[in-house]
Amino acid sequence: MTSDTASPLNTALFDIVKVTKTYPPDIMALDEVSLSVGHGEMVFLTGVSGAGKTTLLKLLCFLEKPTMGLIEMNKKDISKLSGHDLQKMRQQIGVAYQDFRLLNKQTVYQNIALAMEVRYENPKDIKLRVMELLANLGLADKIHTPTGKLSRGEQQRVSIARACANKPPLILADEPTGNLDPAATALVMNLFNRLNEEGTTIIIATHDQSIWKKSTHRIVNLENGQLQDIIQVNFGL
Amino acid sequence: MRHISFIIGQLARNSRHGWTSQVMTLFTVSLSVLIFSFFFLIYVNMQKASSRLGNELRLIVYLEQEVPAAFEQEFKKKITNFDKVDKIVFISREEAFARLSKQLGHDSDVLEDLDPSFLPYSVEIFPSNNLKSLTRIKEFSDYLASLPGAVKVQYGQEWIERFGYFISLLRIIVILSGTLLILTSVFMVSYTIRLTLESRQEELEILRFLGATDRYIRGPVIVEGFLLGLFGACSGLLSLFFLFQWIKNHFSGPGFMNIFELSFLPMANIGTIFVISLLLCSSGSVISIRKYLKV
Repeated sequence: MTSDTASPLNTALFDIVKVTKTYPPDIMALDEVSLSVGHGEMVFLTGVSGAGKTTLLKLLCFLEKPTMGLIEMNKKDISKLSGHDLQKMRQQIGVAYQDFRLLNKQTVYQNIALAMEVRYENPKDIKLRVMELLANLGLADKIHTPTGKLSRGEQQRVSIARACANKPPLILADEPTGNLDPAATALVMNLFNRLNEEGTTIIIATHDQSIWKKSTHRIVNLENGQLQDIIQVNFGL
Repeated sequence: MRHISFIIGQLARNSRHGWTSQVMTLFTVSLSVLIFSFFFLIYVNMQKASSRLGNELRLIVYLEQEVPAAFEQEFKKKITNFDKVDKIVFISREEAFARLSKQLGHDSDVLEDLDPSFLPYSVEIFPSNNLKSLTRIKEFSDYLASLPGAVKVQYGQEWIERFGYFISLLRIIVILSGTLLILTSVFMVSYTIRLTLESRQEELEILRFLGATDRYIRGPVIVEGFLLGLFGACSGLLSLFFLFQWIKNHFSGPGFMNIFELSFLPMANIGTIFVISLLLCSSGSVISIRKYLKV
């Protein structure tokens, strides 16, 4: 089954057109999924484990390529990006991975700063931004702690902080509250909401109902690799 | 400027993680530079000694009888028909006797009852620079021996030949040790960089996901190879200098070593060794990057 959902806001930041992703031998992770997300939107991607949420995010952040179909970002076919263009595009996307992907021997500061260092940002700006993010996420006292020594909840927040560090136009978060208590979840969602208000497009893949149930943002559901329907659309306007 | 500070930061981070392999590589590069430059130093000194000996080289042609003054010019012309020479000196029996007496010094009294006529007439020939090669001297010697009236030609050929062969052997050693320098430097540096890259695979993967550019990832790796070459050449040449000073202090003075008047490598050679070492080690980095770092 194919579901098309059009962006309710202005122009599309990205368009996913009939995208299929299969893994060998013949596991269908996504089946002709179409989705359009506009600039400045916040979208919750819901579904049970194995529904294809993570696969969809991996396609959006160039970790994997679709087996069939088209993904356009700012009207550019991302499958054709390579070299410098791909690197520049990656810098426009902040990703909070489900498995965090942190450098465990390096400190919290170093892990977050890395996202800004690859863009050769001013060291003073990097320091200020990292401090600000850590304060927002309740990790200010962990700044010099190696991430390997943090709890999973803390590691998750570091991963989120790194994704937000550059203030990228698009943030992809895969189960960002999976390891967090309600207080930490609130901190993370506050940060996402604030960034969204500033114009950042945010896609959150989650099965944590508590973060989207009362949300005013678009919620799309994935089931068995297919985009089933829009559960709730509330523009909050 | 900001790029440089990021490169320095990354280099420091890499050094903290893989300093053992870096130290081993530095040691190997230094040793290779030392071995090569050691043989090169000997070669350079031998070449100098050879040139000095060449300047003192002379061929003595012993004659059956004295060349009459009227025929001296003709004889000289015959000699210079082969090639130009610096000087030709005709030596009478009396002059040869006087020289022998002088050479004997305090023991010259053994000559007291002897008549100078037991010594043959001879001609001393000082060859010019274009006649200094071993082959040319041999050819020249054969030519002189074929001149009418020549009995024997002498120029210490056995010693000169041995010296020539020794220099040829040294040249081969220098070439071989140079090859060793090239192989070990490139191999060791590329191997070390490979180890560094392998140990940083996780970090490199994350950097790629964060959108790090080729320059950001490759820059520190190339600089690391460059620095290994720089410090390797520095420590290798410094070790050679100390070794040279030690040899000079312990073996100079009267005796065999004195004829060499040891001198250290000229600045041009030192510069060349530096440049070669830097190029080789940087090449090692580039090889590793191409093989193991797909950005």
